[in-house]
Amino acid sequence: MPSVGKNIPHDSAVGHVSGESVYIDDVGRLRGELIVDFVWSPVAHGQIRSIELDAARALPGVVALFTYRDLHHNLFGPIIQDELLLAEDVVSFIGHPIVVIAAESRATIRAAKAAIRIDIDELEPVFTIDEARRRGLFIGKTMTIQRGDVDAAFASAKNILEGTFINGGQDHFYLESQAALAVPGEFDQLTVHSSTQNPSEVQDVIAHVLGLPINKVTVVTKRMGGGFGGKECQATHPAAIAALVAHTLKRPARIAYGKDDDMRITGGRHPFQNDYKVAFDDEGAIIAARIDIYSDGGAFADLSTAVLGRAMTHADNAYYLPNALIRGTVCRTNYPPNTAFRGFGGPQGIATIETILEEIAVLLKKDPLQVRRRNCYGIDERNTTPYGQVVSNNYLPRLFEEIAQRGDYAGRVADIASFNASSRTHLRGIACTAVKFGISFNTKFLNQANALVNIYLDGSVQVSTGATEMGQGVNTKIRQIVADEFGIDADRVLLMPTSTEKNNNTSATAASSGADLNGSAAADACRKIRARMASVAAAHFARVSVPPAQDIAGGAAGAPHIAFENGDVFDPREPHQRISFAALVKMCHFERVSLGERGFYATQGLDWDAEKGRGTPFLYFTQGCAISEIEIDRFTGMMQVLRCDLLMDIGKPINPGIDRGQITGAFIQGMGWLTNEELRYDSKGNLLSHSPTTYKIPNIQDLPPVFNVDWIDAENPLNIRSSKAVGEPPLVLAISVWMAVKNALSYLSGGKIPKLHAPATGEEILMRMTAYRMAARGGEAREVAAPAP
Amino acid sequence: MRNHILLNINGKAHRIEGDAAFDTLANYLRQEVGATGTKIVCEEGDCGACTVLTRRAADADYRAVNSCILSLAQLDGSAIVTVEGLRDANGLHPVQEAMVQCHGAQCGYCTPGFVVAMAALFERCDRVGEKQIRDGLTGNLCRCTGYEPIIKAALTVDGAQIAKIRERYPSLPDAHDSVQVGTFCAPATLDEAIAFKRDHPGCTIVQGGTDVGVWVNKRNYTAPAMLSLAKLDSLNELREDNGTIIVGANATLADFETFIADRIPELARIMAVFGSPQIKNAGTLVGNIANGSPIGDTLPYLFVADATLELNSGARTIPVDRFYLGYRKFDLHPDEIITRVRIPIVPDTLKLYKVSRRRDLDISAFTAAIRLALNGDQIARAIVAYGGVAPTVIRLPRTEAFLVGKSASLDTFEHAGRVARGETTPISDVRGSADYRLQLAENIMAKFWFDAFAPAAVAPPARRLVRWRPAGEL
Repeated sequence: MPSVGKNIPHDSAVGHVSGESVYIDDVGRLRGELIVDFVWSPVAHGQIRSIELDAARALPGVVALFTYRDLHHNLFGPIIQDELLLAEDVVSFIGHPIVVIAAESRATIRAAKAAIRIDIDELEPVFTIDEARRRGLFIGKTMTIQRGDVDAAFASAKNILEGTFINGGQDHFYLESQAALAVPGEFDQLTVHSSTQNPSEVQDVIAHVLGLPINKVTVVTKRMGGGFGGKECQATHPAAIAALVAHTLKRPARIAYGKDDDMRITGGRHPFQNDYKVAFDDEGAIIAARIDIYSDGGAFADLSTAVLGRAMTHADNAYYLPNALIRGTVCRTNYPPNTAFRGFGGPQGIATIETILEEIAVLLKKDPLQVRRRNCYGIDERNTTPYGQVVSNNYLPRLFEEIAQRGDYAGRVADIASFNASSRTHLRGIACTAVKFGISFNTKFLNQANALVNIYLDGSVQVSTGATEMGQGVNTKIRQIVADEFGIDADRVLLMPTSTEKNNNTSATAASSGADLNGSAAADACRKIRARMASVAAAHFARVSVPPAQDIAGGAAGAPHIAFENGDVFDPREPHQRISFAALVKMCHFERVSLGERGFYATQGLDWDAEKGRGTPFLYFTQGCAISEIEIDRFTGMMQVLRCDLLMDIGKPINPGIDRGQITGAFIQGMGWLTNEELRYDSKGNLLSHSPTTYKIPNIQDLPPVFNVDWIDAENPLNIRSSKAVGEPPLVLAISVWMAVKNALSYLSGGKIPKLHAPATGEEILMRMTAYRMAARGGEAREVAAPAP
Repeated sequence: MRNHILLNINGKAHRIEGDAAFDTLANYLRQEVGATGTKIVCEEGDCGACTVLTRRAADADYRAVNSCILSLAQLDGSAIVTVEGLRDANGLHPVQEAMVQCHGAQCGYCTPGFVVAMAALFERCDRVGEKQIRDGLTGNLCRCTGYEPIIKAALTVDGAQIAKIRERYPSLPDAHDSVQVGTFCAPATLDEAIAFKRDHPGCTIVQGGTDVGVWVNKRNYTAPAMLSLAKLDSLNELREDNGTIIVGANATLADFETFIADRIPELARIMAVFGSPQIKNAGTLVGNIANGSPIGDTLPYLFVADATLELNSGARTIPVDRFYLGYRKFDLHPDEIITRVRIPIVPDTLKLYKVSRRRDLDISAFTAAIRLALNGDQIARAIVAYGGVAPTVIRLPRTEAFLVGKSASLDTFEHAGRVARGETTPISDVRGSADYRLQLAENIMAKFWFDAFAPAAVAPPARRLVRWRPAGEL
């Protein structure tokens, strides 16, 4: 029985439910361990005049204080090196670390923070995309994707739509806040346990800021209590700070952010403000689209330019744009640097084009789903993206067709129209949106992975890869892949903590690609070992002596016909002769055949020219459609989701239960972003919603009462075991919830385009409804803008 | 007087002395006991990752509470069961096994809290339905699963196979006597309690301590002294007497909610979205009153229902709407303790409203209670109380006066809404802008009219809410 396709539990599930799973802050205190924290800038933008440390230094229990002067290098950054780990003369966001404290206890840390005096002259901060644009404050340069001639199309078009899509940010709200534990070793070596999606980058940055060769730093990640992109780059800061203390003082050093601090000082999903101008025909088919994308990158570049690239390559989503001009610019503001967040710009690009299609439908008084299907990518024609990649294996037309049927779309639209005509207390809306999510890192070199597979003498297997486990089940999927390569039970395979000692120069576990890349690398290692084992088995069955070890190692003695199944190894031509996998392992060992291997995988066929905005950046697309229906209280603006239907193409799932969990989890997370999760700031840039009391992620009551999830039966021959990546794409389907609110408002807007910002909070909805009601009464339409995101 | 705290944790006796008694249970579990399954995330009782079970009396159940905002001192005499205590020699607790099989855990960080909260559901029944699960797990946040697999897990559990936790961990510490540790006191008589409060200016009474615990964690708050009434059994009272409900200072919000389910269903409806089980199991109604937040969710009802507070077991009584003198300022003397609240069951038309960003477990942006007595079609008496629009919950005398004598028409209430808008001066804060609150102050009157007088016009349920066969189940 193959393991792939089976619904086995998550490999840590028993530890999770019993409380035995260990996270950074659960590790018992080590001998001599220091507690680490830092003083961060309380102002968004300012000039440091003085830092007074003597009083804090004199406190008993304060072991050391550090500033940027104690670092070998201070400047770093994953793409553009513009970030200062510790502020020097200028602070550029609230939360910018300034002074690192190493102390014996938490109480001492509190006392030290109170005793440190930092005098800062406030400089004028920038808090909006508009202001950054006015002042020309950008990160990187404007990027362009272009096809055809939009201006010519606009000049001759009958119908033109213009508007702006605006979304707010989102906090990752991983339950385990950022944390790291650094342990010094001999000869300036360091082992750093980090809750990171990107151990190699943490390793690299630590070596850089401490002036060590990279090989002296080992970074280990057992697991994360959630990542969602928030630990792709920003786990680096606490790890580097703990490493500074451990390296300098030669004592173990641990840092663990509190939730409020984590929310205040780390970045999140990028706010975007996307201006669009679209020409379309009377059927709603888009002739040309110009989309000018602006993201709020915060104070430093972090991953913002890459996030922008994904927003731009997803601004088409499921729809063919014959003429397109997509330009993108990252704005520099004085918020914490925004970073990766599940979807990585894709959702903001997709929400823009979905908004455009919804608005075209309103202007033409057509059904929005009909307009979407009219614009959907074709199978053989109208199937090339604005950046030149052909949309192959396109299931989108089929997904639209099937979801409209299974979701009873037409019937429900009719129900809603009559309900809205009669109800004076409530308002309903419905929307169907799609996702076509490109799988692969846009940056080509990141699409590689290595894996280490070791078989022990009892036939049990250890696997180490660069993939980090943050709950998404990548280790369980790799376990299943490896089990099948050897034809053994998944219980015999153990995934080891991710360590830069086992796997070097790895990419972040990100872009939904963890299982694709690392699973493929692990399979490669398994196949190499299996080929050697097969040679030994073939000789055994033929009762001849085993070929010389060098022939086996070199592959000269291949025996591809030997099968590995159900814990046995046999020649299918003579299946009565078999040997157990474990016995064959022992036999190989005695024959001096290697039972360990390193595998490697690099995605083939990718080609992306970011300068030109052209190429084939993605190996394949994960696709899907969703219909959501919502109800609004006309008096309070409070909104309730009544039903969601999700239908996806995720290939052949390696583990259907895990994939289903990714779909439900991503969708609800996306729904939170677009409905109730609002980052509210005061006029100085202080985040006011910095804990779950004020920042409301969905809770269990927000899971819609009817929540349907299914996928079509489709192969994906381009990827390991015909599977597809699933981590991010379903998040995008939550746009259907937000769009259903917009659809509901269209019943009040008197034929005009119903404006709506994201998130659609009760306040946002009520103020929009109030404006329409005033307008309907003949009063001046009192358009109240939502608070600046 | 005993000078140390006694607890049982997973069946083992613990004795805590000195300053250590002021640490939170969550910290104690993680750092002293080494039981790190209990996680600390938000430190304010809003995420549930720190959920444990506590039990105070031999006739009580184990109840889920947030260990991150409870001090050890407050828990004197309690038995506690953590996630580590659920498993037995035969293996995982069935709730744990269901969570494993149904993919109820992804990253695992929220999981122990969910498991413990879910286990509590099976203390009083063998099977749970979807509504019970959602209500029972409202206080636990998960960022990974979207909750669907967690609900599915709970649905598969057969509680008949489960030895009840109260049977597995039956023993309680012998701790009925008065205890004082440092500035914390839990006396065994009311006289001692009054004397302690009088002698310690600034003394804070901690019952559930669900707000004080947050101040300690987040604002570095240290009370000059802390008084617990937990050992005063006479204040456990919760009964109905001639149409008046009498609620003692020790009665938890959870018990109160159950008690009023049929007696005051309108208030029970608000209580259902008011807070998590963890908060309601710890917090008390009197605590909600004494805390005096302008958005306290029980207050608008108490205002319009003419509730009265009994101080020092009847030495003085005061109508609840006269108790509040300003933002968290009260008509309460240093030697006075709220011992009971008396709540008349009102026969009039009475509706309550709570508007918040998230419907469940969210602090309100706006609350309202509207009570009407009619004489035929005419409004004979109107009482309107709003929360979230002033430093305290307030009555709206101009709106009330406007309504009296008018016919109960939509027009009247739309007009009344505009009066109410003019009578409130809300502020903008993290929960909403002043404009938003003004609009709510206006709109809620018309909403009331539909709810009270035209319920048929309120939305019929949506049709075609069809469930598909779940995918991913093999």
